[in-house]
Amino acid sequence: MTTVSVHGATKSFGRTRALDSVDLDADPGVTGLLGPNGAGKTTLLRMIATVLVPDQGTVSLLGRDPARPADRTGIRRRLGYLPQDAGFHRGFTVFEFVDYVAILKEMTDRRTRHDEVRRVIALTGLESVSAKRIRALSGGMRRRVGLAQALLGDPDLLVLDEPTVGLDPEQRLRFREMISQAGEGRTVVLSSHQTEDITALCGRIAVIHQGRARFVGTPAELTEQAAGRVWTDTQRSPDALTAWRTGDGVYRNVGDPPAGVELIPPTLEDAYLLLMSEPELEVTR
Amino acid sequence: MTGWHLDQESLRRYSQGVASPVLAASAEAHLVKCAACRDVISSYVDARRVEAIWREVVDRVDAPRRTWPERMLARLGVGEATARLVAATPTLRGPWLLAVAGVLALAAWAAQADERFLQMFLVVAPLGPLAGVAVAFAGGLDPTREIGLAAPYSGLRLLLIRTAAVLAVTVPIVAAAGLALPGSKWLAAAWLLPTAGLICTALALTSRMTPVVAVGVVAGAWVLVTAPATVAGHLGVAFGIGAQFFWLAGAIGGGAWLAVTRNTITIRLGRSA
Repeated sequence: MTTVSVHGATKSFGRTRALDSVDLDADPGVTGLLGPNGAGKTTLLRMIATVLVPDQGTVSLLGRDPARPADRTGIRRRLGYLPQDAGFHRGFTVFEFVDYVAILKEMTDRRTRHDEVRRVIALTGLESVSAKRIRALSGGMRRRVGLAQALLGDPDLLVLDEPTVGLDPEQRLRFREMISQAGEGRTVVLSSHQTEDITALCGRIAVIHQGRARFVGTPAELTEQAAGRVWTDTQRSPDALTAWRTGDGVYRNVGDPPAGVELIPPTLEDAYLLLMSEPELEVTR
Repeated sequence: MTGWHLDQESLRRYSQGVASPVLAASAEAHLVKCAACRDVISSYVDARRVEAIWREVVDRVDAPRRTWPERMLARLGVGEATARLVAATPTLRGPWLLAVAGVLALAAWAAQADERFLQMFLVVAPLGPLAGVAVAFAGGLDPTREIGLAAPYSGLRLLLIRTAAVLAVTVPIVAAAGLALPGSKWLAAAWLLPTAGLICTALALTSRMTPVVAVGVVAGAWVLVTAPATVAGHLGVAFGIGAQFFWLAGAIGGGAWLAVTRNTITIRLGRSA
């Protein structure tokens, strides 16, 4: 059984088509949605989090249909969700906030619930700030609080919208470690516009652009798309779809290389930029 | 350390919690100072009991402190988890309640100055509690709305809990403003049944639209119907005996419909739920 199965999902907000017939499957492990801001990643993740219903197409989560009320509640009992703009009640401490979400997750027995709250607070390294008010925490710490609430109840499906946005490099590394651990034995679907995060974490990726899935496959398969299309030169090549000057003074060009240039192995970022530069190119594996 | 130690029987009785108060106090004082007796007693102690006690201690230390509304609700017999959900209702924050009280105080003051405003008070009065219900679910005011939408907690239950909390706070404010009005005291109560009818209708509509939109529809219809009639002096249209029965029927009908369909309807707590 595929944990997440989205087929032909389409969603419009007024005249704007946020998603256009997107297909996506995800199984245990970390699946990443990569794409620029406004590409439709959040819309797709909200569908997977049962918060949004597609106008057309089907969504199956954990073998259930989120369009049916009884199934939807069953899915939500096994789901953890970190929204992009996760807000917090101003006066709550870390413990109080996670405890509040635990109540919304139907953990009514106080003792058991507090044990679970302590468990996720420890998992995310928040013990030392457990009694602090959330408004006094840094952005990175708040993001961790968001992850802690998503981990309540040890969910089978974890949906994380831009989990590393706004974090400094050290915090991002710690967060990657936590997400990587969370992805052991469960299905994690996350979004990012950072190719480094996707490369570091995801076994499978979907590149979303202008509401469509431009690529679905492994990071290696995406990187392979740019094989033979990256070269360095002393100047910006007119044949390049995109080019930039690197720290060592040479230009890294991505596009259709002219004859005689020195080709170099591509990175995931090269392939992503190539895909974004060539919107007609669409590969789904 | 002294040469005296607790005997086996005393240790057994103390560890099992059946020692007399005098023996328990002596044993405790001795155990604090005597490592040898502490070693001996460890073999008598039930590990599960110690773990349970330790859990209780940890829980007391870092469990969330209850806010005064939570403590008050607990005294009224409301469960601890429900009290926490009530305490997090956005509408129950001070600034919003002050705004409602301010508007109604202004209406009551205006009514003192001019009798025409007295009638308009009745039109405005139900809008306070109605707005409270809408604000309790407004996306911009509930920071955890998105997380709540993806949680399994029953949408209908949350809707009813928050509505009850909003009514418990706003109705006394409106009632106090009504009592300050000049003239007949029936005015102070004539808005109650219309408010109940409007709230129940709005709640029933939440299976079709979000609470904010449902309240907007109901409040808009209320103002469109009652304001012209009240201005024209036909108070009976909205507040007469016949109208009161109509609102009572609306309240019972809306409530009964929610009760009957509670397991099958989907409450739309947010725009996209």
